[in-house]
Amino acid sequence: MTQHLTERDVRGIAEYTRIGLTDDEVAQMTADLNAIVDSLKPITEYDLEGVEPTFHPIGSLSNVMREDAERPGFSQEEALENAPRQQDGSFLIPSILGDGGDR
Amino acid sequence: MAGSAEFFRMGARALREGLAAREFSAHEVAAASLARVRAVDGSVHAFLETTEQLAFKAADRVDAAVAAGELDACGPLAGVPVAFKDNMNLVGTHTTCSSRMLANYVSPYTATCVSRVIEAGGIPLGKLNMDEFAFGSSTETSAFGPTKNPWDLSRVPGGSSGGSAAAVAAGLAAVTLGSDTGGSIRQPGSFCGLVAVKPTYGVVSRYGVVAFGSSLDQVGPFARSVEDAAYALNALAGRDALDCTSQDVRCDFTENLAQGVRGMRVGVVPAFMEAQGLAPEVKAKVEEAAERLRGLGAELVEVDLPNAQAAMSAYYVLGPCEAFSNLTRFDSVRYGYCDPGHADLGGQYEASRAKGFGPEARRRIMLGSYLLSAGVYETYYYPAQQVRTLITQDYVRAFERVDCILAPVAPRTAFRFGEVSDPTEMYLSDMFTISINIAGNGGMSMPVGLGADTNLPVGVQLISPQFKDENMLRVAAALEAVYGPAPIAPLFCEGKTPEAPAAIPDAADAVPGVDLPGLATAGAPSAAPTKRVPHEPNSPVGCSRESGLSERPGAAEGAPAQVEKAGE
Repeated sequence: MTQHLTERDVRGIAEYTRIGLTDDEVAQMTADLNAIVDSLKPITEYDLEGVEPTFHPIGSLSNVMREDAERPGFSQEEALENAPRQQDGSFLIPSILGDGGDR
Repeated sequence: MAGSAEFFRMGARALREGLAAREFSAHEVAAASLARVRAVDGSVHAFLETTEQLAFKAADRVDAAVAAGELDACGPLAGVPVAFKDNMNLVGTHTTCSSRMLANYVSPYTATCVSRVIEAGGIPLGKLNMDEFAFGSSTETSAFGPTKNPWDLSRVPGGSSGGSAAAVAAGLAAVTLGSDTGGSIRQPGSFCGLVAVKPTYGVVSRYGVVAFGSSLDQVGPFARSVEDAAYALNALAGRDALDCTSQDVRCDFTENLAQGVRGMRVGVVPAFMEAQGLAPEVKAKVEEAAERLRGLGAELVEVDLPNAQAAMSAYYVLGPCEAFSNLTRFDSVRYGYCDPGHADLGGQYEASRAKGFGPEARRRIMLGSYLLSAGVYETYYYPAQQVRTLITQDYVRAFERVDCILAPVAPRTAFRFGEVSDPTEMYLSDMFTISINIAGNGGMSMPVGLGADTNLPVGVQLISPQFKDENMLRVAAALEAVYGPAPIAPLFCEGKTPEAPAAIPDAADAVPGVDLPGLATAGAPSAAPTKRVPHEPNSPVGCSRESGLSERPGAAEGAPAQVEKAGE
């Protein structure tokens, strides 16, 4: 099997996708992803010279505009109903400045 | 007067006729259906939540229409017990996607497909188990424990819409909705012996259905008869301003069902029939179905789909890339699981997403991220979209010669729990279904009896040209006339049905006063908006069966369950 990704690559992807993995999980994920990427090989073996890509199954779609009119949406209360933490009508998150700052 | 014990066998037509003749009321149907779910589902675990209030409200509406002599105005699913895959929002219910990430999420709005089914007279019984975020082919990745196949409780129902399939196969609902990104309606339909339809991309609105692969996802029905599936499509199909991919499909899907197949050209794909991994009993059933269709006057035509073999790898590029993008929205701030006690936002993100997502979801997110990264994108993602063009052209060419294609659905019948554990091996379950999602065509599973070796249900796949879904339904109806409608699994027929009570949570326990979506309720609208109460910390969510307890959020250390309200 070809080594497509190293553990270092997987740590980088974990950081980018914001999924905190343990060392054991990084090792397992590296093995899993390498096996899956290996199985994708057929896609790299096609002669695709001059073939246009299809990004969507219905080719004839065009933008749809609705009337630019005011419509009811969620109330503040409704928008916050599923928030894990909230305060004073806002989503509550850890401090992102100062000592509690994001990395 | 029909005994209430018989409701679970009835389809839309029998229910409508019984209601019209006043042999029974929709209220009686709702009560008997909910009672059956609670008495039996413990053995299957199809349901994550019941919706008793909504069921009775919907039934009362149907009964009022009967009393007023206006049953016809009720829609094609009047009095039909229905249920929904748990990735479909229904206001006031939990919509969990069978993930710890959304264990406490309560829908603030309703998916268009759900409201259309209820508007058409359906009686909503509840929400159904699935593979987490629809990533899987067995329903084993549900955070709330697996659903079992009603035909053999030691086997999987297929997936990802396993709960939707099992509920219909066990006679717990007449029609359910599932979603299909690579085969997630058709493969469980085959494993559970049901009529299971993935319409052409664009026939049904996805508004309010939690997105997996947005260029691939489509919603469709499970039923025990082609007619019921067609009624459901009549309710579901059509333009929705809230999903710009939905098309203005106006079609009576029941119209062609009685026409037979004489003169139709049905394609068979030799490469599919010779595919490695296709079980002999499945191959034999597909060949038998082809011969039956020939006997009924259809012309069998060999067609080639030379690029279909690349569909698998194209799908496992495109699907994860789109899933990675769609699942970035789970940020532990606006909704979803939030790991407590973090002083920095980055740490909160990483812990919440690590604990909220299961292994398969994490794999797909990270795979998608890798495949879209600079330098890798050109190797996989862009070529996959080019291969998509080739596969689409294959189907266009094939459908110049035939009206419908006949193929296997899954390479084998339902497998045992734990039997397929390697991810890449599991992915092969969808080898015959994914090219249809890639090209956007309609496809369905049609039951054709039991396999000779395993004695388990086998489905054949019927594939339509884009927006000609009525073609495959017509062929399906002809097969149904030969093989009979899909039976309820023998274990769940009257007299044998196992008593396996399930303490399924009801939406009203957490969310009092929910109202029917999309309907102007009789009388004045309620003056004040209904206050929805978030789930109590550590209260049970989802499965409360013994086998599911250890899987349940809140049962394991560090598992998500708490809803923290600062300042309260």
